[in-house]
Amino acid sequence: MHKYPVRFFLFLSAACLSVSCNQYRHMQKVQGKQNCVFKFKPDFSRVVYKTSVDVVGKHLSGLLVFKYMPDSSTRVVFTSETGLGFFDFGFLPGNRFIVYQVISKMDKKAVIRTLRNDFDLIMFNNTGTQHAYDLTDSLLVYHAFPQKNGVNYYITDAECSQLIKLQRASNKKPIMEAIMNGYTTGNSPENILIRHLNFNFSISLKKITPIASQ
Amino acid sequence: MPRKSSLFILLFVFFSAKAQHAGYVLISKPESFRNSFSNATAVTQSIQSEFNQEKYLSMLSEKINSSGKFWYKKKSQLRIEYVRPFSYLVIINEGKIFIKDGEKESKISTGSNKILQQVNRMLLDCVSGNMLESPDFQSRVFESREAWLVELTPVTRNLKKLYKNINIVIDKSDFTANTIEMIELSGDKTSIHFKNKVLNAQIPSSIFSIP
Repeated sequence: MHKYPVRFFLFLSAACLSVSCNQYRHMQKVQGKQNCVFKFKPDFSRVVYKTSVDVVGKHLSGLLVFKYMPDSSTRVVFTSETGLGFFDFGFLPGNRFIVYQVISKMDKKAVIRTLRNDFDLIMFNNTGTQHAYDLTDSLLVYHAFPQKNGVNYYITDAECSQLIKLQRASNKKPIMEAIMNGYTTGNSPENILIRHLNFNFSISLKKITPIASQ
Repeated sequence: MPRKSSLFILLFVFFSAKAQHAGYVLISKPESFRNSFSNATAVTQSIQSEFNQEKYLSMLSEKINSSGKFWYKKKSQLRIEYVRPFSYLVIINEGKIFIKDGEKESKISTGSNKILQQVNRMLLDCVSGNMLESPDFQSRVFESREAWLVELTPVTRNLKKLYKNINIVIDKSDFTANTIEMIELSGDKTSIHFKNKVLNAQIPSSIFSIP
C-alpha cells in the first residue's frame, strides 16, 4: 500500500525529467534566420574591461584585455589591478584554443573549460550555420548553434532587431546566461554580465578604455 | 695568462651587468649602499605619493596605464588607491588586507594565505626599504649617476612562480623608491612610477583604518 505513492513520485520525477524539465520543448522550430545574429557580433579587437569575478563566495577583480592578433587569433588576458597576470588564453579559428599562461590556483580543467565556453559564447565563436536552427516562443527567437556539448543560443526579438541575451545550454536547460549592453554594430559592449545558473559564478565586465598605443 | 683571464672575467661581469640594466653598473661591494640606505630608511616614518602604473603585456605589445595615490606609515601600514581609469583600493594594516573594488569590499587575513603573506611582505619591504634583508629574495645592487637599482630575485617557491625579478630604482637624493618594476615569468611587467613624494608628513590613522 505504501509503495504506490513512492512509485507515483518516481514516475512523476521521470516524466518531469523527460518532458516538462526541457525548457526549450514548448518552442516551435522555425525557418532559420541565424545569419541575422552576426550583426550583433561585438568587436573585441582591442579593448580592456574592468572585471569582477564572484565564484562560490569569493571575489576576484582585475583587468581583462581582448586583442585580435596578426595570426587571426583573439587573445584574452586577465591581470590583477596591481599587475599580476591570472591567465592568458588564445582563441584561434577552427575552434582551436591555447592556454598561454594560467596561475596555479586557476589551472584546473573544469575552470579553464568553463571560461573557454563563456568567452566562446560572447565572442560568437563556433557559430557555423550548417547545423544551426531557430526556435521561437510567442515573443523571442532563439538562434541555436549546436556545440560539441550543448547548444549556444543568441536570443533576439522576433524581428531580430535587438539581441536580448545569450545563453549556453545543455540539451534541456540553460546553464549560463550573458547580457551585453551599450554597443552598436561593430563596437565592443560597454557592459557584459555573465551568470552561471547551475552554480554561484558570475563575471561582470565594464569597459574602461581602449588600450594605450605603443 | 691568469692576468688576462681575470681581465676577461672583469670585463664580462662589467658588460653583462650593463646589458641587464642599461645605464647601470653592478656594485661589487654593496655594504656602503646598504649602510647609507639603512640609515636613511630608519628616519623615514611615512611616505605619501602619487603614482602612475604601466602594465606591459609583452606578447600583445600592449600597455595599460593607471594612476592613483599611495600612503605608507611605519612599520606595516600601506594604502594604495587607484583612481584612474578605475577605482580600486587596497589597505594593508598589521597583517590584514582590505580591498574595495567598486562597491564590493573584502577583508583578508594574510596569516591565512602564505602567498598573500609573501606578496604583502614584499610590498611593504619594497616601500619601507627592508627588501635587502628579506628572506624571500636574493639581491644585487647597481648604480648610475642619479640612482641605485636594487634587483631582487625570488628564492621562495611561491614567489618564484609569480615573478622573475623585481627591480627598485632608488633616488640618490633621498633614498626613496622612484620606480618599482615587477617582471613576471612570461616577460609581462608592471612598472609603478612614484611622483610628488612627501616624506615624514603626519598621516591620519584613519587613512589606514579597515572598516
